[in-house]
Amino acid sequence: MFENSLIAVVIFALVIGAAVFAQEGAGSDQPAKQPEVKSETPSPAPELPSVDEIVNKANLMAYYQGADGKAKVKMTITDKKGQARLREFVILRKDIKDGGDQNYYVYFQKPADVRKMVFMVHKHTDPATDDDRWLYLPGLDLVKRIAAGDKRTSFVGSDFLYEDVSGRSLAEDAHELTKTTDELFVIKNVPKAPESVEFSYYDVSIDRATFIPMKMEYYDRKGRLYQIIETEKIETIQDFPTVVKSVVLDLNTGSKTEMEFSDVQYDINLGDIFTERYLRRPPKEARR
Amino acid sequence: MRKTELKQVVTNLSVKHYKGVTILLVLFTLSLASLIPRIRVDTDPENMLSEDEPVRVFHNQTKDNFSLSDIVVVGIINEHNPNGVFNPASLGKIYELTEFARTLRWPDEENPDSQVGVVEVDLLAPSTVDHIGQGGPGVVKFEWLMARPPATDDEALEIKNKAMSNPLLKGTLVSEDGKAICLYLPLTSKDLSYKVYSELKRKIAEFAGDEEYHITGLPVAEDTFGVEMFIQMAVSAPLAMVVIFILMLLFFRKLVLVISPMIVALVSVISTMGLLIGFGYPVHIMSSMIPIFLMPIAVVDSVHILSEFFDRYKPEKGRKDTILEVMGNLFAPMLYTSLTSAAGFASLALTPIPPVQVFGVFVAVGIMIAWLCTITFVPAYVMMIKEESLANFGSASVHEHKQGRLGRILSFAGRFTSARAKTILVLILVISASAVYGITRIQINDNPVKWFSKRHPIRRADIELNKHFGGTYMAYLVLEAADAEPKVEHEYLDGLRKQWLQKGKAITADFPDSPNLTAEVEKLLLDNASADKTRRQFLNEFIALAQQKSNEAENADRIHEADAWYEVAGFFEMEIERLKLFKQPNILEYVGNLQQHLKSTGVVGKSNSVANVVKKVYQELTDGREENFKIPVSSAAVAQCLLQFQSSHNPDDLWHLVTYDYDRANIWIQLTSGDNKDMEKVVKAVDEFFAANPPPARLKHDWAGLTYINTVWQDKMVAGMLQSFMGSFIIVFIMMAILFRSALWGIVCMIPLLVTIAVIYGVIGLVGKDYDMPVAVLSALTLGMAVDFAIHFLQRSRTSFARTGSWKASAQKMFGEPAVAICRNVAVIAIGFLPLLAAPLVPYKTVGIFLCAIMALSGLVTLTALPAILTVLEKRLFKPAAAPKSATCNCGLCFVVSAAAVVLLALNLNQYTVSGWSKLLVFSIIAIPVMALICGIMSRRQACKVLENKEENDNV
Repeated sequence: MFENSLIAVVIFALVIGAAVFAQEGAGSDQPAKQPEVKSETPSPAPELPSVDEIVNKANLMAYYQGADGKAKVKMTITDKKGQARLREFVILRKDIKDGGDQNYYVYFQKPADVRKMVFMVHKHTDPATDDDRWLYLPGLDLVKRIAAGDKRTSFVGSDFLYEDVSGRSLAEDAHELTKTTDELFVIKNVPKAPESVEFSYYDVSIDRATFIPMKMEYYDRKGRLYQIIETEKIETIQDFPTVVKSVVLDLNTGSKTEMEFSDVQYDINLGDIFTERYLRRPPKEARR
Repeated sequence: MRKTELKQVVTNLSVKHYKGVTILLVLFTLSLASLIPRIRVDTDPENMLSEDEPVRVFHNQTKDNFSLSDIVVVGIINEHNPNGVFNPASLGKIYELTEFARTLRWPDEENPDSQVGVVEVDLLAPSTVDHIGQGGPGVVKFEWLMARPPATDDEALEIKNKAMSNPLLKGTLVSEDGKAICLYLPLTSKDLSYKVYSELKRKIAEFAGDEEYHITGLPVAEDTFGVEMFIQMAVSAPLAMVVIFILMLLFFRKLVLVISPMIVALVSVISTMGLLIGFGYPVHIMSSMIPIFLMPIAVVDSVHILSEFFDRYKPEKGRKDTILEVMGNLFAPMLYTSLTSAAGFASLALTPIPPVQVFGVFVAVGIMIAWLCTITFVPAYVMMIKEESLANFGSASVHEHKQGRLGRILSFAGRFTSARAKTILVLILVISASAVYGITRIQINDNPVKWFSKRHPIRRADIELNKHFGGTYMAYLVLEAADAEPKVEHEYLDGLRKQWLQKGKAITADFPDSPNLTAEVEKLLLDNASADKTRRQFLNEFIALAQQKSNEAENADRIHEADAWYEVAGFFEMEIERLKLFKQPNILEYVGNLQQHLKSTGVVGKSNSVANVVKKVYQELTDGREENFKIPVSSAAVAQCLLQFQSSHNPDDLWHLVTYDYDRANIWIQLTSGDNKDMEKVVKAVDEFFAANPPPARLKHDWAGLTYINTVWQDKMVAGMLQSFMGSFIIVFIMMAILFRSALWGIVCMIPLLVTIAVIYGVIGLVGKDYDMPVAVLSALTLGMAVDFAIHFLQRSRTSFARTGSWKASAQKMFGEPAVAICRNVAVIAIGFLPLLAAPLVPYKTVGIFLCAIMALSGLVTLTALPAILTVLEKRLFKPAAAPKSATCNCGLCFVVSAAAVVLLALNLNQYTVSGWSKLLVFSIIAIPVMALICGIMSRRQACKVLENKEENDNV
């Protein structure tokens, strides 16, 4: 069961942008290898976990629950005038290694004219290896590989970025525990290569009980808050605390994207479906 | 005789209580001047149209629908490097400038939570746009065009190649010759343009190197014009005053005396501006010209007084008696010239352009203030001068030397005009005829950028950037479905049924368990169709139905059936997407063709639309070859290309070109010229295209964008100005006819004005100068000035004729002091406003040249045409004794005046009604005879008879 334990990840990955955590080779039941990040905060009280423990745990909660999983996603993009656009897709995920590489398969259902479009990712947590991405466009009957210059492009026109889906490597930021409340750890994350991203840093508030990231706040180069990602609703599914609703708010454009997850299932024993062959003929788990 | 009393009362009062009059005047001026600090400035030419003007409403709606902003354009050109701007140094600076531009945001004063300034997400620069290209065989690549400044020449050239491969960027972001790059900085509000402009200039000053930097765009031009206009006001108006002052000093040689017209000018300008601001009107481009217009008019009357005072003053006569005599002679002409000028300007209130209305009304008020000031203060001022200060003053002491030359020329002119009257008239007729020809060739055109002189940085930026790029002038052509909610007509149902039969077949092939599905749904389609339902409604009913069936089947564990119905729902969902016009390949093809047609106008340098986006993405998703830069065949393919476009760094760029519902599309058009005539050419080209190529679905189109708005207010301005000019012409004529108690005299009085205006506008037509906003407004000034001279000349000719009894003798007199006064006025104002020619703003130059031309011409025409006419028509004009009687007693006069009034009324009604001319014509046809009848009755009434009898008795 554990071996198969997987799910919320996908969802969560989408929502929270793995910002905080990818980690090489760490099993979920084993303490993660210490990342090279050094905390600058004074050592927390003895009963508190270290910064690294927090970010690693949160990473696993966000992206690696269960061994595989499925969710139906309803995405609503609302602009500042209140006009909404809708997307619906099914997302399938399978971990190669907990905390390490994993595969995603995103099957679009709505709008009707992008139905059957597929977006597939082989995610690699090794910073030296780019993710592999594929696209299947049924309207053109075309399979295409995508080479992306970077991971901070929009995910299908929403306020979520590709990196929010595939996860931001833990190694890319320096982490610092800036605040501890009764419920939350607040981690400040400063990019090590600031010119490669549009933010100067971001704060993640992590629930102390579940280690689910509850809120992420991005600050621009002038130090002004411009984007907030928030977990709005958590349900326990198959014993996994699972984010079932999250929202991104772009303060610059006034745009908002809401994601609602339904039909969430973990450990569904996905077969070897993450190949080009399955792009044109989606697996049954993806349909409906 | 009441009038005589009035003038005596006024003059005596001012002469007697000169101190009180002066104190009152000072208090009056100061109290109004105290309002000036409340000044609000409005330099937005958009406000030439009232806010609810349809074109402005649509413009704002369009900006809102497509999240468009007014744009500042920054161009960087490198002509020295063989690779143009595509070298590490130039691109490095461009990167830095972009980073700087991002930060040009400030807290909103009205709403501290939000920020105003550059709209960062919509900023277009090499480092903020995406490159879509081939990443190897079978691989498509999305990346920043310039994620960071290149380190080597090769990297720089790679950026160039990428940019050139993208038709969305080529000609917009990068020039086709590779020499230049443009940054487009959208602003939250265009009134921040000057602030952004200044900040950018400051930053650019830090850069060294081969690059040239240019900043332009209509918002910058308009906002900068506003700022510089006020600087000009502070320089030009006082400078003109100084020159006028020096000239008057040369003429009258008495400093103390010459100060008085200056005071009159100051008082009228200050109090008028105070009033304008006090009433809460913002100072607009138009109203900022009030001082310049008011000054010559205010000075003219005082010059007449001083001129006559100068000629009549003799120490033994004394200042008091002289001024009383002068005022006696000049009171009536001054009143009438002021009234006519004021009426001329006041009639601008009938133009349907708010700033022009304000301008007209307040110039009129200013003229009357100047008149009041002249008749009260100038005599008072003369009284304040000590008699001994006037020693050596007056033509009596100067005459023999200097005055002689002008006097001799004028007396020669006097003799010449009488002797060669017919020749002069023929000559004037010939000139007028050629002027009329010139008028027919007038080009109506305007472009706010051209309000700057050619050496101004903004104008140079405009010239340079439009040489390299697709254009810095933006217009938006909005296309939308002609019927918002199409119904389920027979034709549609038929098409839908056919589609379904095809799809149904495919579904039953996949789900053999549901063999009757096709027929079942077809029957439902036919049963439920109704031409009352909208298509969307109808399709949604079927989606709901199919989903319900699918759920039922699923609950009953009939999985295959559930899947089949799921596919049915998918079919109808797809049909809903097919209702969205601007996702359909045929419509996008049409848009593409329209853009092609636009390009053929020669004015449109570049246009972008959702069609371009689809073509580019399709090209790169297939194999990147140029022949695949096209619209794919199915609407699903289009939708998928668009979704890919949204997977970029700037997904929202799409919504500048199409709305979420795909019912409306925006073609972003870049023009290399902001001339209204060029914009009009494009508008016409689009209309022609629609007429010649019916779109595949019913579309309507409309325009937005500053470049287009300018053409709309220009049209209004030209038509409005023409009508209000005709209106004021008639008003002035009516006033003249009443003043002279003769329609004929009224007509004669209008001749210098007519000739002057014809010649000036004729020359504009012949020379090829554009008829633009300043030129249009100046027609009102012509009216005021030209008629002034005519009134002075005619009124005094009549007075003189009454004394001498012969025109010949009178002419001799007329070419003495009155002609000299006119010449002095001409010189003072014509030369006084020449410094305006040095201004860097073209409208000021125009005003300067115009004032000079108007003064010179109207003076010349007055002094040649009028005496010639008086000579030729002496018998007719001077026959009736000049005894004034009620206007209503003269049947002919009454009729002419009434007819003119009717035309005037019709003219004004026409501006405000949609009824057009035909109804008004009927109205006039009825009204004029009625007026004639009333006039006839009036002139035969008892009072007139009595008057006539009395006159006869008197004559006897």
